[in-house]
Amino acid sequence: MDVSQYLEIFLDETNEHLQNLNTQILNLEQNPDDMDTVNEIFRAAHSMKGMAGTMGYKRMQALTHDMENVFSDVRTGAIKVMPDMIDTLFQCLDALQEYTDNIRNTSDEGTNDNEPIIKKLNEIRNSKGGAAPAPAAEAPKEAAPEAAASAADGEKWNHIAFDESQVSVMQEVLKSGKKVYGLNVEINADCVLKAARAFLVLKALEEKGEILVSDPPTQDIEDEKFDLDFTLVVASDAPVEELIAAASAVSEIAKVTGAPLDFDKIKTADVEEEAAPAAEEASVSAAPAAAATTAPAPAAASAAPAKHNDKKASKPIATKTIRVDIEKLDSLMNLVSELIIAKNSLVSASTGNNASGNTNSASFNEQIEYLESVTTNLHESVMKVRMVPIESTVSKFPRMIRDLSKSLNKKMELYMTGEDTELDRTVVDQIGDPLMHLLRNSADHGLESAEVRAERGKPPVGSIFLDAFQEGNNVIIQVRDDGNGIDPEIVKSKAIERGIITPEQAATMNEQEIINLLFLPGFSTAKKVSDISGRGVGLDVVRSNIEALSGEVSVKSQLGVGSTWTIRLPLTLAIIQSLMVVVGGEKYAISLASIETIETIHNSDIKYVQNEEVINLRGTVIPLIRLNKVLENESKASDDGAMVVVIVKKGDKMAGLIIDELMGQQEIVIKSLGKYIKHAKFISGATILGDGEVALILDVNALL
Amino acid sequence: MEQLSNTSGNLANLPADGDETKIVTEMLQYIVIRLGDEEYGIDINFIDNIVRMQHVTRVPKVPEYLKGVINLRGEVIPVMSLRLKMGLEADEITRDSRILILKVDPEEGSVGVIVDEVKEVVKLAVDQIEKVSHDGRSDRPIYVSGVGKNGDQLISLLDLSVINLEDN
Repeated sequence: MDVSQYLEIFLDETNEHLQNLNTQILNLEQNPDDMDTVNEIFRAAHSMKGMAGTMGYKRMQALTHDMENVFSDVRTGAIKVMPDMIDTLFQCLDALQEYTDNIRNTSDEGTNDNEPIIKKLNEIRNSKGGAAPAPAAEAPKEAAPEAAASAADGEKWNHIAFDESQVSVMQEVLKSGKKVYGLNVEINADCVLKAARAFLVLKALEEKGEILVSDPPTQDIEDEKFDLDFTLVVASDAPVEELIAAASAVSEIAKVTGAPLDFDKIKTADVEEEAAPAAEEASVSAAPAAAATTAPAPAAASAAPAKHNDKKASKPIATKTIRVDIEKLDSLMNLVSELIIAKNSLVSASTGNNASGNTNSASFNEQIEYLESVTTNLHESVMKVRMVPIESTVSKFPRMIRDLSKSLNKKMELYMTGEDTELDRTVVDQIGDPLMHLLRNSADHGLESAEVRAERGKPPVGSIFLDAFQEGNNVIIQVRDDGNGIDPEIVKSKAIERGIITPEQAATMNEQEIINLLFLPGFSTAKKVSDISGRGVGLDVVRSNIEALSGEVSVKSQLGVGSTWTIRLPLTLAIIQSLMVVVGGEKYAISLASIETIETIHNSDIKYVQNEEVINLRGTVIPLIRLNKVLENESKASDDGAMVVVIVKKGDKMAGLIIDELMGQQEIVIKSLGKYIKHAKFISGATILGDGEVALILDVNALL
Repeated sequence: MEQLSNTSGNLANLPADGDETKIVTEMLQYIVIRLGDEEYGIDINFIDNIVRMQHVTRVPKVPEYLKGVINLRGEVIPVMSLRLKMGLEADEITRDSRILILKVDPEEGSVGVIVDEVKEVVKLAVDQIEKVSHDGRSDRPIYVSGVGKNGDQLISLLDLSVINLEDN
């Protein structure tokens, strides 16, 4: 059976379940008696098991099966949630994550059976045996409702109200020597395309025989007008087992039961207690192993806690989403981009018309303005489709902090706000690693040991905060701790020791400048290297990762009080507002987000500090960069002593870019320069102007 | 309507009336370009497009052979000088100069190369192509994967990995 086309869905859903399990088990650690949480965990483990089974990942299935068993016992009250059990469960999740990663990379789950974990899971179940009904006694108890359930819906075909013609057809078939069977097919509850599955079942059965009656009618089945199961009456030469096997071979089929049709039972409403033994056997052996043994269990079991607990199990509110292939979104985005380019060329055509005194230009301009508002709205909505909450990335952090807390033997708590802040999908996918690094940094280097905290009168449990919020066209993510902060003296001596700065340089630097040295390659202040942080690759990688996303990172710190790392990311990446400038006859775009002001200065305003040109702008000394020198072309500005300076900033740093001429503001679509141009320093991309010309986008971050 | 189909029918028949109808054995098609005095063949499978010389936007701080970028129907395509890349003299842009848009490696995207002239398309059978032996005496042949013999004409077949080589 080829399931490879479902691999993506499987991986996505498995990740969601794992994420959910991590969160819920953390929750369980805090509230061991919360039945809702237990139920939620059980459900997630159960779905994962079903999915792994369907996809044929046996080891993953086995592990989730044992995990599910533990929770099944917790639900019945047979065992209690204990701290060591939580640890085992986390190990279990890690193992599952490993399987998932293996599958993602090689489409194979790997060969690790994780027996120690399975053994531990079983120990959990057995060790608590004394406090509860012996496990031996549990098994039949579990099996009992199952048997009853399958008996109840096992012979659904007996409920079909056959009309006379159908009965006569059946009798005809019987006379011809064929057999008539009743079949009931149950589809997995989480199946996405029920109708497609059902269709495959019908097709498989038609190869073996003839479908005489179907309830609901086949047309309804193909239109997905059925719940989770449908019932068929099939005429065939083959034995019933063969039909069941054929139907079960279709993926995402939970269960197939079948038996020869007993004409005595037809139309009798009551179901006899004794289920046909053949059907019973067949259902267990033939149905996909994943679901067969447990499918009816959740139904039976979830009724129990509902009785205990008057309030209904609070199901997480499923966000109404559809999975859209990112490539499709990209193509939509490209279309919008082209529309914007077309609009821009209309704009430039209209300015041309104005110059030649075209009388139609008034209505033409109106149309352009209309087009402009349409493209802007379209752009915004497409952007919104690409936006996802950062939750998917940050929800793994509480678990990580918990583990760090144990391995570092420091007490700490992570407080998160703004998980619903949305960012472009690509950014969300890539922001995880830098954030993880900053959090680890805070946990390892930031927070002091319990003794030091007590000495300083701080609460024994260290706090780490992860806050995300939107600010204008940027999203800010802050990692904050109430730990030791960064000691500039230590940073300074380290930097001198490593030859990053000279002692003379160090003397002229202020505290903030020294702290910023941390972002330079090869800097690690950890006194001892641990596996958590301080491997020398660190903050410089964090910075380059964030800068690759057109973002920036900065740090503020107060010794003894704590430090705050601030990441600033642009909301969108593909289309930006820019200022078009001319340097040496060439057009360049500068992102509006990095522009502070535009100034006109005179030659006489230029001062020299250490042989560098600077200006004093309202009390701030700003270094000047002559863009024509950086870009290696000839300035064509008139030499009357006045010049236009674009003041740009990156974090706290500012610089004045001397340009020849201002062209104006424009919305531009960012295009890559292509892979052949790899080392274009100072250029972050290109864009196509209204007249079809290509203009380059200046990388302000690289200039400063 | 009839007229139209007639015309297209004639068009379709035209090459068949020509002298090259024996395309049964494995024929490779090459576009013959001129660089200076020498003619080179480029495998037609790698050629996406041929466009006239147009304004190339210079990109600062890149190797000299990278001439810049152009706009090809809304896509930004890098353009390199094949002459400079192969260690020849700089291009002299004339009315015959063309930009060949190549797609050698789908991973890398398209790239344009400037050539002095695009001459013709030739079909070569595999046995008309002779591999070039690298005797190490000259460094020129590393850009040539073989020599095609088309009647009296000798065509150096360009090894397109040349455009993927890092700075030389």
